[in-house]
Amino acid sequence: MTRDFKIERKEPNFNLVGKIKVKVLVAFTVFALALIFTQLVFANNLATDGNKLSNTNEEITKLERDNTTLKAQIAQESSLTVLSQKAKESGFEKPTKVIIP
Amino acid sequence: MTRLKILQTVIFITAFLIVLRLFYWQFVAKINDVSQTLSQDEIPASRGEIYTSDNFPIVANQEAFLFYGKPKEITSVKETASKLAPLLISEKYATREAQLSDDEKKQKEEEIKKQEESLFSKLSSKSLFWVQLARKVPLATKQKIEALEISGFGFENDEKRFYPEASMGAQFLGFVGSDKLGRDTGYFGLEGNYDSKLRGKPGRLGQDTDPFGLPILVREFRPLSPQKGASLHLSINRSIQFIVEDKLKAAVEKYGAKDGTVIISDPKSGKIIALATYPSYNPANWQEYEENLYKNKAVADTYEPGSTFKLITMSAALDLGMVKPNTKCDVCSGPRQIGGFEISTWNKKYFPDSTMTEVIQHSDNIGMTYVADKLGVDNFYEYINRFGFGKSTNVDLQEESPGGIREKEEWRPIDLATASFGQGIAVTPIQMIQAVGAIANGGKLISPKIVDKIEANGKEEIIKVDDTKQVISPQTAAQITEMMVNAVEKGEAKAFAPKGYRIAGKTGTAQIPVSGHYDPNKTIASFIGFAPANDPKFVMLVRFTEPSSSVFGSETAAPTFFSISKEIFNYYGIGPTEK
Repeated sequence: MTRDFKIERKEPNFNLVGKIKVKVLVAFTVFALALIFTQLVFANNLATDGNKLSNTNEEITKLERDNTTLKAQIAQESSLTVLSQKAKESGFEKPTKVIIP
Repeated sequence: MTRLKILQTVIFITAFLIVLRLFYWQFVAKINDVSQTLSQDEIPASRGEIYTSDNFPIVANQEAFLFYGKPKEITSVKETASKLAPLLISEKYATREAQLSDDEKKQKEEEIKKQEESLFSKLSSKSLFWVQLARKVPLATKQKIEALEISGFGFENDEKRFYPEASMGAQFLGFVGSDKLGRDTGYFGLEGNYDSKLRGKPGRLGQDTDPFGLPILVREFRPLSPQKGASLHLSINRSIQFIVEDKLKAAVEKYGAKDGTVIISDPKSGKIIALATYPSYNPANWQEYEENLYKNKAVADTYEPGSTFKLITMSAALDLGMVKPNTKCDVCSGPRQIGGFEISTWNKKYFPDSTMTEVIQHSDNIGMTYVADKLGVDNFYEYINRFGFGKSTNVDLQEESPGGIREKEEWRPIDLATASFGQGIAVTPIQMIQAVGAIANGGKLISPKIVDKIEANGKEEIIKVDDTKQVISPQTAAQITEMMVNAVEKGEAKAFAPKGYRIAGKTGTAQIPVSGHYDPNKTIASFIGFAPANDPKFVMLVRFTEPSSSVFGSETAAPTFFSISKEIFNYYGIGPTEK
């Protein structure tokens, strides 16, 4: 009886710890798998978003280039070299008398 | 058991294929994709612009490209080279065929042939994955090349300088070339002097890309944006610069001079308003001009100033109280013998008992030897130093020369005599402007500067003028100014002076030393002065090298000085003060 009692006392404790361990292990595994899966989903989505980022960057670069070209064109058109040439062609002449107030 | 083996074999084959594919993407595809390797590291920074005082970009940037080929992908090299060659020759041939002269057409054909040969040899190197074919290719050319629809070529950004006013101010601007590593580098003038500020800091992509060049967003992302270079804001007045260049070109051609230089500065601040030399070059195509045009003669060229230097000698003597404007010269009745040499006047006319004012008016060499005798070597040397000769003015341009003044111990009596009228010493045009600017500024010497402020990342750094030095007293400055006004009103060039304005000035005709003696037919003709004399708005130097129509400054440089002055009076709205 004494022997049986000892066996009965030990067995339930061993099972409980073991069960908890297994449960924790399963929980962690599920959690880790969930995280991996989530990362995979997000990574997958993000990977395809690279295309969008690339397009946006290209658009920015193109606009910056256009801006540079336009700036250069404006400067060219308003240069004194061009303006004086146009003035000459339009028949403007240098004043011979200047009145200073 | 058999099924298990089949499964194992399938797994191994799949794994092997995956490894093989990964190897391909990692090594083979990466090597072939040039665009990826070119752009993944450095993002070039735009160079800062240069603005004139009216905020006009005299130097801007323009979209341009580096053009490369992939020899392995090009099949018919000869045909491709002949198609591309006409598009990659110098931009000077980009005008319509009808506008080119016969000689130019011939040169164009030769250049196309050369270009074709060069392209053929580059594209024939089949061992190369990538070969650079041209740099700074303009957008229009890129579009023409793309229209040819030839495979095996590509473009990368390679911004270049753009000059809206073409060659205006070329010699103070300098140009942008490449260093040993092919990076844009400024040479000469402002581009050279401020290169480290103008060039900015290149950025780094710091981002992984997939084989298609698209960014992988789940990987590390540490991009470093490029920092655009600082922009320079100059004191140069674009309108006056335009007038000056126009007048200078006309004058050099009219007087048959080898070259001409004009510097105009504000004597109160030392800021340079206009600076021109002719002949000049176009900084956009700098490779096509002779190298001797790159240096800015206004700051790099040393010359014997001749009679314009009499102002410095006379200022020294007046400041020390050794002479007064009405002091009479008692040795001016004829030529003088000094140290075995005969000193005479430029026109062999002599004016006994002339006053110091008249000595300046007649530009009398004998009168100046009288002043030099009074001064002595020590005092004269001291004032030459005070006025900033023999050392750099610290103007913010790269190629400044300090000029050449002999050591005091080496001066003989004849050296003192000749130096008093500006022969036997070497100065630069900018030094003369600085020195006469001091006379116009009440005796205060200011270092000339061309940059007003530097703008970077929205912040402005104002360029402060160096400490001013009182080199002569305000009274001396006033006395010498009156002498200069008298020289303009009664001197050799009086006929050219605009009526009603008080202009202080002095002509100079210096003979050029050739093989140990002076050539009487080769001179440097100059005129230096400021106006209005009472409240100077500008100080100007006009200098011609070897004018052939007349060797004298009074007949070449002086008329140009007055012609430019009239335009400046109109521009500033300065009316005549006398009838």
